[in-house]
Amino acid sequence: MRRYLLRQLVQLIVVIIGISILAFSILHVIGDPVTLLLPQNAGKEEYARYKHLMGLDQPIWVQYWKFATRAVQGDFGKSWYGNTPAFPLVIERMPATIYLTVSGLGVALLIALPLGVVAALKRHSVVDTFCTMLAVAGQAMPIFWLGIMLIIIFAVRLKVLPASGYGTWQNFVLPAFCLGAFLAPLTMRLVRSGLIEVMNMEFIKTARAKGVGERMVVIKHAFRNACIPVVTVLGLQFGQLLGGAIITETVFAWPGVATLTVDSIRNQDFPVVQCAVVLLALIIVIVNTAVDILVGLIDPRIRTGA
Amino acid sequence: MVRSIALGVALLSALALALPGAAPAQTKDDTVVYALQSDIDTWDPPGSVLRETIILGYNVYDHLAVRDLKTRKVIPNLALSWKVVDDTTWEVKLRQGVKFHDGTPFTAKDVKATFDRVLDPVKKMIARGNHAKIKSVEIVDDYTVRFKTDGPYPLFVERLTAQVMESEKVIREKGDEWMQEHPVGTGPYKLVSWHRKQEHLLVRNDDYWGPKPYYKYVRIRIIPEQATQIAELLSGGVDIIKAVPPDQMDVINKSGSARTGVSPILRTAFIQLDQAARSGPNPFTDRRVRIAVNLAVDQDSIIKHVINGLGDRVATAINPMAFGWDPNLKPYKQDTARAKKLLAEAGFPNGLDVVFNEGPPNVEPGQIQTDDAAIADMTKVGFRVKRNYTGESSVFVARAKEGKLGPMFTWSWGYYSVFDADAILYDIFKCGEFYAYYCNKELDDLIISGRSTLDQKKRTEVYAKAQKLLFDDAAYLYKWGLRGVWGISNRVDYSAPPDEVDRMFLVTPRKK
Repeated sequence: MRRYLLRQLVQLIVVIIGISILAFSILHVIGDPVTLLLPQNAGKEEYARYKHLMGLDQPIWVQYWKFATRAVQGDFGKSWYGNTPAFPLVIERMPATIYLTVSGLGVALLIALPLGVVAALKRHSVVDTFCTMLAVAGQAMPIFWLGIMLIIIFAVRLKVLPASGYGTWQNFVLPAFCLGAFLAPLTMRLVRSGLIEVMNMEFIKTARAKGVGERMVVIKHAFRNACIPVVTVLGLQFGQLLGGAIITETVFAWPGVATLTVDSIRNQDFPVVQCAVVLLALIIVIVNTAVDILVGLIDPRIRTGA
Repeated sequence: MVRSIALGVALLSALALALPGAAPAQTKDDTVVYALQSDIDTWDPPGSVLRETIILGYNVYDHLAVRDLKTRKVIPNLALSWKVVDDTTWEVKLRQGVKFHDGTPFTAKDVKATFDRVLDPVKKMIARGNHAKIKSVEIVDDYTVRFKTDGPYPLFVERLTAQVMESEKVIREKGDEWMQEHPVGTGPYKLVSWHRKQEHLLVRNDDYWGPKPYYKYVRIRIIPEQATQIAELLSGGVDIIKAVPPDQMDVINKSGSARTGVSPILRTAFIQLDQAARSGPNPFTDRRVRIAVNLAVDQDSIIKHVINGLGDRVATAINPMAFGWDPNLKPYKQDTARAKKLLAEAGFPNGLDVVFNEGPPNVEPGQIQTDDAAIADMTKVGFRVKRNYTGESSVFVARAKEGKLGPMFTWSWGYYSVFDADAILYDIFKCGEFYAYYCNKELDDLIISGRSTLDQKKRTEVYAKAQKLLFDDAAYLYKWGLRGVWGISNRVDYSAPPDEVDRMFLVTPRKK
């Protein structure tokens, strides 16, 4: 297990360095940052002065090294428009997005697990067909449309939940459901197909032959094995979930980091973009590492490399 | 199984604990909620051109003079009276017993410090152009100040409505950076908290010298999505929203929980063309191309069909409510044949490519839809338009200021709520000003002479000439004077303001 963890850690570091290079190059692939920042009518002298001021006249690896060493200390420079440092700007908005994605994930699991299990056990039944229909509908619904529909039904018509905002638990319900509904169909299908596959395996027959009750067979033997692909895919889907968060945050006026990132890209506010990209990527990488470790815990064959 | 449920409950409660605490004890009954589409960039109004900053500024700061919304005349506020001493001197008497939010009394010192700061060329305050005619401010006694102007200054009193009074002590001790987040005014409300791009909370200033506002709290929520704003209005989460798209007015009026308020506002919409080549060489430096685009777009039918008549067509960018507007000048009429001919003469017989920069529709109702229609018309005569959208007004405005939005971009001007032609001509058409993409020496002379005489008849003549020139030269693509559309909850009484400044201290509960 220790070697397995070590390997994961080394991979993590390599990926983080890769991300930092990508984030660093954002500024350089979109064109000359100095021209972008200076007024159009600025003279050559001002251009040179600014280039020097930004350290852009130095060799590229020196620039990267400076960027990386500062970034490690949480210094990504000042936002070009807000006149505030980028790091606190991003960090301040991080919790809102994390709450949203975690609760979205929770909702997705709450929907997907029971329905997936029932659909697998009652294969080709009315329940199964219903679940398939639900999955197709869920997958086909654009997330912004669902969000607006939820607002119209629960806020405007029934007046039971707030239409937007942040701060109380009521504010969580609609966005979390919206985001959860986006992830649930895929998860449900995975649970279903995973469970069906496992239920046909020899060890299930063995368990049954031993006289284990059907309930225990499903929960203890089958479900645990069916979980492996689900957990893996959920880890991979975490990035998708952050993508869904952008739309959810906009519709529900949710003060998260996803909208901040998109706004900053539109505004060409690169320090903020770089900071957000690095931190979000870091989260995705950590989540995926955690998933790898979790899968290793669930399935000993993976951690021993068998 | 039990264990995992317990774990889940623990996780959920940890999540709940980590949530931000609720705001101070406000109830629905003592709070009015106002929504904006995008946030302000600073709480220091002279440093910003955003309409949102002007609006919030009015709720927290006071001005020397204000506009009476019924008569539209300028009346005293922190100033009690003003008089002309000679051609270049104005004397202003100040109100006594007024206190800033930090308890310091308001005196002549503060007036001088406010103007000195705005006029300091080193500070590059956005509002400087508004007051550039003022040469110096002299303290006569604690409650009397004299303004020395550079030549006669007819707009002096009007412009007093566009300058918030800030505290000398704060300017001296705290400085510019601190002031961006901590407004210390004398106004009816005080700022409690600001969560950027999320919410502002204001509380009533119980020491206010004027009439007390009804609502103890004002929450200003930033809601970028218009559909969400309307949903909040209908569900009671928000009381007042602005710039409602015309196609949504029916939804609001038939809801039974809110209504719309419409008022002509002192704002003209137009599309700026980069005649001055601030973003580099472009086709609009050629007068024929500028006339062609004005002939290409059928603005009358856009007003009628796209924004349900909520616009007053103008020949140039001067608003019908502004002093100096010339009613005799007739706007361009659509003439596609002539537009094509002009383009061919200008060297574009096969059409031309242009980039069109668009800002968010936060002050102009239905802006995106009217842009769609205008571009469709332009395409018919040979313009191939590539659209480039910026979602945040503070950024869009900053880029306009830096000269980066050419060759054409959406723009509208609210005159800093100063009802005079000069308030747009100087900022938007005078060579070298921040937001001007037009440069014409002949026009500059007219602008200067218009602001240099106290003779209103002569000023009217000067502005008529200026408008003729702007029309003939087709400086920009002219559109219309706007009518603002507000969404107002049936819980409150509020009337749409013609100067586009939402004063939350005027909101009261609706009489049953």
